[in-house]
Amino acid sequence: MKETKKLLLVVERDLRMFLQYKFIIIMRAIWFAAQVAFFGLIASRMVVPELADIYFEFYVAGVVIMMLYSASVFIGYDIFEEAEHGVFEYLLSLPVSRKELVLGRSIGGGIRSFILVGPIIAIALFVIGLANPLNLLIAFSALFLFAFGVSGMSITIAVMLKSGDRFDIFMGVLNALIVRLSTTMYPQVFVQDASKVYAAFSEFNPLTFASDLFRWGTGIERYLTMDPMPLAAIIGIVIFFFTFTFVGVTIYEKRLEGGGWQ
Amino acid sequence: MLVSIIRTIDLTKRFENLVAVDRLNLSIEDGEIFGLLGPNGAGKTTAVLMLSTVIKPTNGTAIVGGYDIRKDPNDVRKLIGICFQEPKLLWVGTPWDVLNWHAKVCGLSTQERKRRVKQVLEDVNMWDYRRKKVHGLSGGMKKRVEVAKILIQRPKIAFIDEPTAQIDVVGKHKIWNMIRKLRDEGSTIILATNELFEADLLSDRVGIMHKGKMLVCDTPKTLKDSILGGDIVDVHLEKEVNGNAMKELKSFREVVDVVILKPNDLRIHLNKVEEVVPKIVNLFLKNGFPISSIRMSEPSLDDVFVHYTGLTIEEAEQEITSR
Repeated sequence: MKETKKLLLVVERDLRMFLQYKFIIIMRAIWFAAQVAFFGLIASRMVVPELADIYFEFYVAGVVIMMLYSASVFIGYDIFEEAEHGVFEYLLSLPVSRKELVLGRSIGGGIRSFILVGPIIAIALFVIGLANPLNLLIAFSALFLFAFGVSGMSITIAVMLKSGDRFDIFMGVLNALIVRLSTTMYPQVFVQDASKVYAAFSEFNPLTFASDLFRWGTGIERYLTMDPMPLAAIIGIVIFFFTFTFVGVTIYEKRLEGGGWQ
Repeated sequence: MLVSIIRTIDLTKRFENLVAVDRLNLSIEDGEIFGLLGPNGAGKTTAVLMLSTVIKPTNGTAIVGGYDIRKDPNDVRKLIGICFQEPKLLWVGTPWDVLNWHAKVCGLSTQERKRRVKQVLEDVNMWDYRRKKVHGLSGGMKKRVEVAKILIQRPKIAFIDEPTAQIDVVGKHKIWNMIRKLRDEGSTIILATNELFEADLLSDRVGIMHKGKMLVCDTPKTLKDSILGGDIVDVHLEKEVNGNAMKELKSFREVVDVVILKPNDLRIHLNKVEEVVPKIVNLFLKNGFPISSIRMSEPSLDDVFVHYTGLTIEEAEQEITSR
């Protein structure tokens, strides 16, 4: 069987599993609605009145990326579910290379997050409006890589920690750092004002790349100073994707084949 | 000429201070059912996981189907299939989903996949439950789905770990027949089990493991015959036996000991019972001692285990647990 077909079968498995998690899908949708309807609307009243609508759009785009990030991280929790049921060993025994397995799971995790976030993006586009379809297409392509990269990162961390509790706590802390030190909720210029160190972290943060690209794709950045093509963000996301896919395959092999899950 | 399909060379696995498998040297022939015996914790499952490239050995290696498990794990995985001791199923799936996906990954064509999944689900009595979520299945049902995976896959080399654990007696016989059928269709089977009766029934050869080491490896018959005086013949005579007959009986090379339970009841400890019993019958008849009844029993693999370890399988398991 061709490698691509095996990879697609791994993706198929993750998608089928995801569709069983109806409760989680509903809860995530409620979370998004609450973030936009409560936090977004109220927080936008804190900025000068003439910028309130702009900030609201900026924030909605940021929440979409936050949600894409958290949905892509979810595959790491699946790893623990599988470890608990021993499914990990089963997957490792299949006629699928480790590379196909990790890449398939990263892609599966990424597509799952797009399925979850897709309707929300549609709502966000309705709220924000669509300025340039070509820009949006480029941004979406990069966001797919971002989602695959986050899934790869989640798998990598999960197999490194090998503990559901530690993973939960670690991802909570990582979430706090990676989201807060990014431009998901506030423009880079304000991060810069607050601290140069914060700004340095924020500038090279994958969530910043993704948020900036989504805003560029939707045309929100017309309100901000932005390059005609955010090449740095695209390159950043491509590097992020390849790094975690490569690291994921290596760690997956070393940590699991070396001695199983325990 | 017999061809080795699996050959292990000092295969070793350590988990920190615990040596789970200790310099395992083993050769398994193409087309045989090889029983890997031992109590829980003996190292059987770890050996299987190494041979199937799920975990890497600490030292040594193995050649599986012509491929080195360290150097060519992807090629090894194309030849093998595993039925795990604990069913590896997620609660969200259904038996149909699990088996259908497994068949796809193993490269079966659409038509063949549907045919085999249906056939095997019917064979293991799971067809009516094919759309039920795994979390709603009993332990025995889950195990049947796990066994079904390998029956659908029909790999060149099948590792089957405790295939009938949690399965009822009728189900056990069905699965044993299916394992034999799998072998007849061309698979080599490595049967890891602590059910010695099961191993005796199915295996062409068995290897007994204890504390990570392979103690002994041969056909069940040879192993049973290796216990000196392991076969027992109880003879009830119509009258009291005399000294001459006893002397002649003890002179048989295969007879190890004769115990007089009652004046006309003898218990004879011997080897190769099936060859010696006609000679014993002739001896008593020739000397004028008609036989009322005769009962033969040969040692089981349990006795073989006791013979080589000095422990029953339950005692050995307790010893491992307390390590």
